[in-house]
Amino acid sequence: MKMLHALLNQRLRALILKEFRQMLRDRRVMAALVIAPVIQLLVFGYVLSPTVTNVSMGIVDESATPESRELVAALVESRSFRLADYYDSVNALGNAIGTGKLDSGAVIPYDYARDLRRERPATVLFLLNATNANTATIAQAYVEGVLQSYNAQLSPTTASSAAVVLQPAFLYNPGLVISWFMLAGILGMLLILVGSTFSSTLMVKERATGTIEQLLMSPATTTEIIVAKMTPLFLAFSVMGLFALVLIRYLFGVPFNGSIAVVLGAGALCILCGISLGTFIATITKTARQAQLSVFFLNPPLTSLSGAFTPVQAMPHWLQPVTVFDPITHFAAITRGALIKGSGFDVLWPDFFALLVFTFILFSLSVWRYRAQL
Amino acid sequence: MSDAGSQSAVSTRDLHKAYGSVDAVRALALDVRAGEIFGLIGPDGAGKTSTFQMLAGILPPTSGTATIFGEPARKARMRTGYLTQTFSLYPGLSVAENIRYVGDLRLTPRTDIETRGRRYLEMFGMAAFADRQANQLSGGMKQKLSLVCALVSEPRVLLLDEPTTGVDPVSRREFWDTLVSLSLEGLTILVATPYLDEAERCNTVAFMDRGEIKELGTPDELRASLHARRLVLRTADVSSAQKALAALGKDAAILDVQRYGDHLDVLATDTGAAQHAIETAMQQNGIAVEELRADDPILENVFVASMRAAGDEVASVPFPARRSHRDLRGKAAIGAERLTKRFGSFTAVDDVNFEIRYGEIYGLLGANGAGKTTTIKMLCGLIDPSDGTPSLAQDEDVRSSRVHQQVGYMSQKFSLYDDLPIDENLEFFSSIYGLNKEEAAQKMQWVLAFSSLEERRHQVTGSLPGGWKQRLAFGSAIMHEPPILFLDEPTSGVDPLARRSLWGLIDELADAGAAVLVTTHYLDEAEQCNRVGLMNFGKLIVEGTPSELKARQKGHLLEFRVDQPQKAVGVLRSPEQQWRVALYGNRLHVIVDDAETGKRETERKLAENGIAVRDVREGQFSLEDVFMASVEREGVA
Amino acid sequence: MRRVFAQARKEVTEIIRDPLTLTLALLLPAFLLLLMGTAISLTVTELPIVVQNLDGSLESMRFVDAFRASQTFQVVPWPVSEQPERALSSNAARAVLIIPPHFGRDLLRGANAPVQMLIDASDPNTAQLTAGYAAEIVRAYDVNLAPAGRAPAVLAAIRLWFNPGVDSKKFYGPGMFVLGLTLFPTLLAALAMAKEGEDKTILQVYVSSISAHEFLLGKILAIMFVSACESAILITLLLTYFGVSFAGDPTPFIVASILYAFCVAAFGTMIGAAIPNQVAAVQAVALGGFLLVFILSGLLFPIDNIPVGLRWLSNFVWGTYYIEVVRDAFLQGGGWSAMWTKVLAIAAIGSAFYGIAWRNMRSMQLKS
Repeated sequence: MKMLHALLNQRLRALILKEFRQMLRDRRVMAALVIAPVIQLLVFGYVLSPTVTNVSMGIVDESATPESRELVAALVESRSFRLADYYDSVNALGNAIGTGKLDSGAVIPYDYARDLRRERPATVLFLLNATNANTATIAQAYVEGVLQSYNAQLSPTTASSAAVVLQPAFLYNPGLVISWFMLAGILGMLLILVGSTFSSTLMVKERATGTIEQLLMSPATTTEIIVAKMTPLFLAFSVMGLFALVLIRYLFGVPFNGSIAVVLGAGALCILCGISLGTFIATITKTARQAQLSVFFLNPPLTSLSGAFTPVQAMPHWLQPVTVFDPITHFAAITRGALIKGSGFDVLWPDFFALLVFTFILFSLSVWRYRAQL
Repeated sequence: MSDAGSQSAVSTRDLHKAYGSVDAVRALALDVRAGEIFGLIGPDGAGKTSTFQMLAGILPPTSGTATIFGEPARKARMRTGYLTQTFSLYPGLSVAENIRYVGDLRLTPRTDIETRGRRYLEMFGMAAFADRQANQLSGGMKQKLSLVCALVSEPRVLLLDEPTTGVDPVSRREFWDTLVSLSLEGLTILVATPYLDEAERCNTVAFMDRGEIKELGTPDELRASLHARRLVLRTADVSSAQKALAALGKDAAILDVQRYGDHLDVLATDTGAAQHAIETAMQQNGIAVEELRADDPILENVFVASMRAAGDEVASVPFPARRSHRDLRGKAAIGAERLTKRFGSFTAVDDVNFEIRYGEIYGLLGANGAGKTTTIKMLCGLIDPSDGTPSLAQDEDVRSSRVHQQVGYMSQKFSLYDDLPIDENLEFFSSIYGLNKEEAAQKMQWVLAFSSLEERRHQVTGSLPGGWKQRLAFGSAIMHEPPILFLDEPTSGVDPLARRSLWGLIDELADAGAAVLVTTHYLDEAEQCNRVGLMNFGKLIVEGTPSELKARQKGHLLEFRVDQPQKAVGVLRSPEQQWRVALYGNRLHVIVDDAETGKRETERKLAENGIAVRDVREGQFSLEDVFMASVEREGVA
Repeated sequence: MRRVFAQARKEVTEIIRDPLTLTLALLLPAFLLLLMGTAISLTVTELPIVVQNLDGSLESMRFVDAFRASQTFQVVPWPVSEQPERALSSNAARAVLIIPPHFGRDLLRGANAPVQMLIDASDPNTAQLTAGYAAEIVRAYDVNLAPAGRAPAVLAAIRLWFNPGVDSKKFYGPGMFVLGLTLFPTLLAALAMAKEGEDKTILQVYVSSISAHEFLLGKILAIMFVSACESAILITLLLTYFGVSFAGDPTPFIVASILYAFCVAAFGTMIGAAIPNQVAAVQAVALGGFLLVFILSGLLFPIDNIPVGLRWLSNFVWGTYYIEVVRDAFLQGGGWSAMWTKVLAIAAIGSAFYGIAWRNMRSMQLKS
């Protein structure tokens, strides 16, 4: 009842109208609300990809026989490797890898074909530039995979007697489309980071220009003031979020396997959380510059700890529990679960709960700090 | 004042500056003699700042030339010092580092930076603060440091754009004393100022409006050009006297009436006729006249007359009052009981007690940093007091919505939203105070009319010149007709004409029963308050009606008219008791303990230094004298 | 020259006096290097998997033990009554290994024993790694199982160069070093420049008749000094915590670092000169500098993965070249012969930024 009454009062309406007008007049905000999601989604969705394909490979073929050429063909055919060039010596190949021209190299020994014909195991040397650990690990798996099937072709008998055969099945994203993974994380980053950046600058503006005193001197209560400030931001970010979802669905073709309501609910919470975070930052900083820089300080850790781009399991053990305190972690878990895996609220409720707790704490802190900031 | 007729220090020919279709400066022709103080006065948006920027060589003129000692202004930059309206200091640097940076940029020899820096700092009484960071200086000191920075390269021309706006009277006076001594050393100074008492201290004054010079001359010449005299009417009932005079209309040769706390200034062309008319009017209304004497007009009279001639008259629009607070009259409205605020070890407000009643205008005066704004913020509940209790409308919960509904507040900073259009700002403030649609429309109409912004109602507020904004903010603060009104420097940066209309309205509101707490750096405005409290270092040191305060003042005030007033100040002033001597326009105020011996002593000193006394008489203390004496006796502010 | 130094000294003093800026300049990069260098990694360890052993024979136990023994996987318990897919949808595990009935019998008979692995591919990269690791374990198991003399025909001998421990820290550490040196000096430079415009102190500079070159160089010099301090801190961290060391001739790295500091300072100054508003300038730096360098430079993910239509853009991104120089200095050791073009590219891009900033400032007066 009290909520309803608060919603209907004239003061709050006046405050909300004012905030709307101010926001609509700020061309930078409006531009950023459209541009930020588009750029970030496109760039991260299309450009950022840890997928390892077309690893460039140099070959030293000392054998120079049909068998060796067959092996090279098998390596290239897999599309995991791209034949860059042939080299005369292991030294030359090593140099090429050392200067960064090549990612990998294969040295086929002169007795390769002879060994094969005599049914003796032939050893091929593979050199991988392990500077990038991820690429190297995946390339290593490729090499082994290619050789396994090559071996199977060479002597079917050998292969069939290999007792255990692994049949991997990739669930949820059988095409291993990397952008599906990225986009869910980016959506969370967008909502939290763009949300906190803009809300903190808008919130701190009132203080920097001194109008906050005028506002606090009016009959409006602190909660009314903050709710009024959040409302237009919430609506604007919701529109931005929906727009982002449309891009994700139709431009990137990410499947919506689960309940859209779950995603929307989580999105709303996530937006509120971002705005509350921005508001809180605004109440502890004095100028827009300080607010911006503080958000800047927060962004990279929030992003890198979220597991939105890199798996949490890849982090050191002591760091993994910390990710629980990152709202993006939870939102990413919800969107991935709800969109791609089709998980429901029954599975995702702990993440919802976490978002709710963050929002509540940050909002309360903001209201509490708002008056103290003068 | 040095040799006239020599080459002009600053000269402009047909100087023109246009921003798009707006002409900021039109066909400006100025000649400033070397070594003189040249004052530029005029309303907001008159084109003063653009003129300064062109003279400083940092704004290319649209057409025409500006030269400094015969050289184009841009090439002569090494010879000009320029003080911009905003502080151009680096807050992170110390006083000495600021000076050194500017000196280095201007390629002043290192040793000169050292010696000059030290000399000027000593001259300005800032030698002890050389290592203090600029952001920890008071407003007055920042201004003086800016001046030191501008002086360190020994420029031959100094351009000062409103250097004392927002600076308290004590610091202002010190600042001007410094300017005068610099000018006596041969420096040419161009200064823009909204304070007309400062303009009185210039050798030449130009009145600028809409990009053109309208009047030009020495203060004496300008006063003479009015062909009018100023009649000082001292009476106990100023309010009724003003009404009585207003009824006289334009007859009786009365050009203008200005109300002060305990007297009216009447500008009249024919002194005799006016004097007669006033006397009859007073008699008819049964108002006792304490004093009625003729005096020279002051520059403000000239300014007002010029602006009226230019059609800049601020329309007086009656306030559409709907509520009367008359029945509240006499009840306590604003109360401060042992109010104290400490920031760390620093006590900003120290045990302040006062009570303001409905219908009363209370002026809170004091130097920058004396604690006025902090006191207001505690009273309003914007900050919590460390000790003591504020109360508003007999309620100690000064934060409740009920109390806030009855309070109008205008902060020192501009208090409207710069990014919203004028009408949306007004709409917001009217609805947040719960005005119904019809009343809101009426009040908005009134605010627009009051601030002469009817045609610009859709313009973005931030694009308005300062004075207009200030009027608009004032108007929006009183739309809900609050019985309690806080005004923190409402007239800072506002031109004299607009200030008048603002004060007229304050009087009107108080007459209707509102309690008004106002702070100001214009002490002539403070004369219009019913009661005045003077704060220094967080303490309320004196309180009373302006007349009481003046009466309480010890000693006698002698008003001298001499041929070389600036020099006379230097001769008479002793460093320990600076407050005893002050320059008001072309008059010298000297406070002495005994009228007769004081007069003899002073005349002797002046004669010894070859200064001729034209006229001397015992005068009444002004509030400024009280302020200076009280503050300086308590210690340097 | 005196004016240049005066300007530089003023900038450095201002940065030192403002705690927020100082934190931004020195502390935050170190913190970020530690955090992100540690946190960002794609190579997972101890992935939780669920094993559904429907066979229960000795062979199947032994097979599961092979998985248990690996560093990569961590077998987590899962109630037999529950659907294994739920382990994935509830995020309890990243993969489920299903051993069918008769697994042991088939093996003993010398027949093929297929096992199924359900992998949560909502993170494709991890899924791929998981499949790779699992295949490796299975292969090793098979080799053990196979009778002697029936080894596969072609064996791979794989050598991992430059980073034999396949330690992500060594790859991302230098990357974050570049990111720190890109982001913070740019931000400082943009802020310092925008502030002069915003606070109107620029007017005082105009009046002093300092030239645009002197003014810009002074500012840039100050930021370069800050960059140098920052580099010193970050390099110390790289050499100690990240355990990398110079792989060869460090001179290309030193020269490139100086040029890069200039390039980045010039970029920030250019932004600040164009946008005399601190908040907007920070946003421009964030969007322009950060995003471009972060994404298009190959810092996080290989440039080869960028779609061809966009890949050419990375040629204009200053960070691209510096990253290669840094990785070369710490990991590959290619020296001048490999790096001289990159060093030149950094210098060229820096000069371009400086030129644009100068064009904007050259009149040294108010624009009408």
